[in-house]
Amino acid sequence: MIFSRVVLFSLLVASLLFSLSASNGAEQASTGFVDAPGKELLMSKCFQCHGEKMWKDLKQDRRKWEGVLYRMVGRGALWTEEEINTMAVYLATGFGPQSEKAATTK
Amino acid sequence: MRELVASYLCKSISRRGFLKGLTKAGVSLAAAESILKSLTPHVQAQEARRAAPEGVKLFQGTGGAAFAEQLIASGVKYVFGNSASSDASFYEALVDRPQLKYILTPHEGPGAAMAAGYVKASGEPTLVMQAGFVGLANAMGQMFNAFKEQTPVVYYSYRSDATRRSGRDGFEEVANQEQVVQPLTKYSWLARRADMIPETVRRAFKAAWTPPYGPTYASWHTDFIDETVRTEIISHEKIDPRMRIRPNPKEVERAAKLLVEAKSPLMIVGDELYNAKAVDKAVKLAEMIGMPVTQVRQVFCNFPESHSLWVGSIAGRGVESLTFPKDVDVAINVGNKLQHGSPAPIVPRATKFIDLRNDSWSMGNVITTEAPLVADVGYGLDDLIAAVQGITTAAIKTKAQERSEEVRKFTEQAKVLRAQINKNPDWNERPLLADRLTYEVAQFADKDAIIVHEAGSIGLHSFGFNPLGGRELFFYYGAHLGSGVGTAAGVKLARPNQQVICLVGDGSFVFGPTALWNMARQELPVITVVYNNHAYAGPHSRAVEHVAGGRMVQTGQFVHDYLGNPDMNMVHIAKGFGVEGEAAESPGQLKEALVRARRATQDGRPYLIDAQVRRTGVGWAENPWTPPIRIAQTRTRKV
Repeated sequence: MIFSRVVLFSLLVASLLFSLSASNGAEQASTGFVDAPGKELLMSKCFQCHGEKMWKDLKQDRRKWEGVLYRMVGRGALWTEEEINTMAVYLATGFGPQSEKAATTK
Repeated sequence: MRELVASYLCKSISRRGFLKGLTKAGVSLAAAESILKSLTPHVQAQEARRAAPEGVKLFQGTGGAAFAEQLIASGVKYVFGNSASSDASFYEALVDRPQLKYILTPHEGPGAAMAAGYVKASGEPTLVMQAGFVGLANAMGQMFNAFKEQTPVVYYSYRSDATRRSGRDGFEEVANQEQVVQPLTKYSWLARRADMIPETVRRAFKAAWTPPYGPTYASWHTDFIDETVRTEIISHEKIDPRMRIRPNPKEVERAAKLLVEAKSPLMIVGDELYNAKAVDKAVKLAEMIGMPVTQVRQVFCNFPESHSLWVGSIAGRGVESLTFPKDVDVAINVGNKLQHGSPAPIVPRATKFIDLRNDSWSMGNVITTEAPLVADVGYGLDDLIAAVQGITTAAIKTKAQERSEEVRKFTEQAKVLRAQINKNPDWNERPLLADRLTYEVAQFADKDAIIVHEAGSIGLHSFGFNPLGGRELFFYYGAHLGSGVGTAAGVKLARPNQQVICLVGDGSFVFGPTALWNMARQELPVITVVYNNHAYAGPHSRAVEHVAGGRMVQTGQFVHDYLGNPDMNMVHIAKGFGVEGEAAESPGQLKEALVRARRATQDGRPYLIDAQVRRTGVGWAENPWTPPIRIAQTRTRKV
């Protein structure tokens, strides 16, 4: 059940990312991050310590992004499981192995 | 003649002057020398009487023996050193002074780390000695750490002999040796005469142990140590300025007012609290104000992490990166150096800042200060607590209670969120997750264990440090690597009745494993856990972030970070130094290894676990590329 919700959510995010990448290219070019659920969380929780550069090279799937986020918990990040899932989906969609063109601009 | 004798005995004329006077009066030189000899017991008795005040004594012997005597008078029990033939007269003096124990360390770096660990854990003085400049150069990395961490370690190394060789660019000689260490020390001095060895040494201890603490350096020419000297030996108590000062009362009033009127106050704690044994006072002030507490990078954990006002360390660049509290209007720093890793001040300009520290030099350098309280933090907190009590009304008390409750709600939630660490999808995998390794060691550690941490950039969670009788942390603030194993050995020497666990990265470990030999020789039962991911993982990730999208990531060619091919075997290294150990790759193996480690240490033997940890982060291949530098195949002669 949880899995299917995650899949649905991923699809929703992916479609959002795609439509946004087509319509909002100029904005993306300035940040490299498309507007979708999870972006705001990422900006507020991760950009305290990390610049945007590091995301661009880390192309990996959802499980691996989830692993990265939980490692940040070990470094003091205070996120709920739901927040971690949202960010993992966002990152896997925008910064997954197949996602360069869909979610980011170079 | 009577007049001459009187003048000599009251020291108004010298020995030579006395002889000259006698010969002038017609006494033969032989007779004059005989008279002089007959007076020697009277002179010595007089000098002994003069040195009678408690804590001051007159000593005659070699410079080396005077050095040993002064160390004893300065309160030193252990000296850490590496062999130096020019210090033979000092070693000779140790034979009949068993109260001064010499610990031979096979490399000066870990030896100096061991000394620093001993000082930090015992609060007692010690001396590190090296062979001339060549040994000093090895120790200077740890001198840097001591300087950054403000650890009062006294260093000594000799110079070339003054009378025959000095200044000729001779063997192992460098010009102005004592000046080389000046940027890393509070005091650096070359004794000008052999009889000034004790004075130079005691001044080095005085400077090191007068707040703010820091390392010092003493040196002298090698021939001084063999000379016979008559000199004073003075106990440390007689020269210690006991500089524990109270803050300016006006600034205390100002600070108290700021705190009670603050809407969103924050306390930052630091190592001066641990050193002054004043953590309980910081707890009291925080509770009175209902003030959340945090810490920026330090050596020790300076506040109980289980306390409901502890909101966690600042992981980001400053106060603003804390999840809670937000919009801090007043921040008080109690004893933290506030080392800046980025251009923005840790406490933003808009926040009113109270700085309570004994180190006036660093105050105001980066962060503007509303109320500077230059003081011993213990005294400063006493005064501040009294001042706050004096102006606290019922309404302020209520406000503080409400704020405490708000902070408690956050910390309860934070505790739950931190516990999620075990939800990592790789939690049960092998090689181990670094977080799993940390978690298991935390489950295993005694309630009052001391954790010496030099394990790279791992997050140190799950331990619940509590400097008020619980687990303690000794972190590698200075970051000159190779300190962890030596520090752990020194900590165990100082606190033999507490479990000491050394967490060290593989990169850090191979900078300083020689202290394992000391653990074996001195029977220091420390558990060393190596986080072995066969890589410099921190430099890897930071380099990738620095040149994101660059050629390194595209090609997988990272020249600077992979330590495999061949893999280093830390168990073999440990065995070479006389320490048992084993490798562990899975959570199950780790748990079993920890059981064996406990058994070994209970029996008095150190133990090492070479924990195989997975590499995480950007751009790590399964079998990372290594630069194709293979010389054997390029040879034209197979020799």
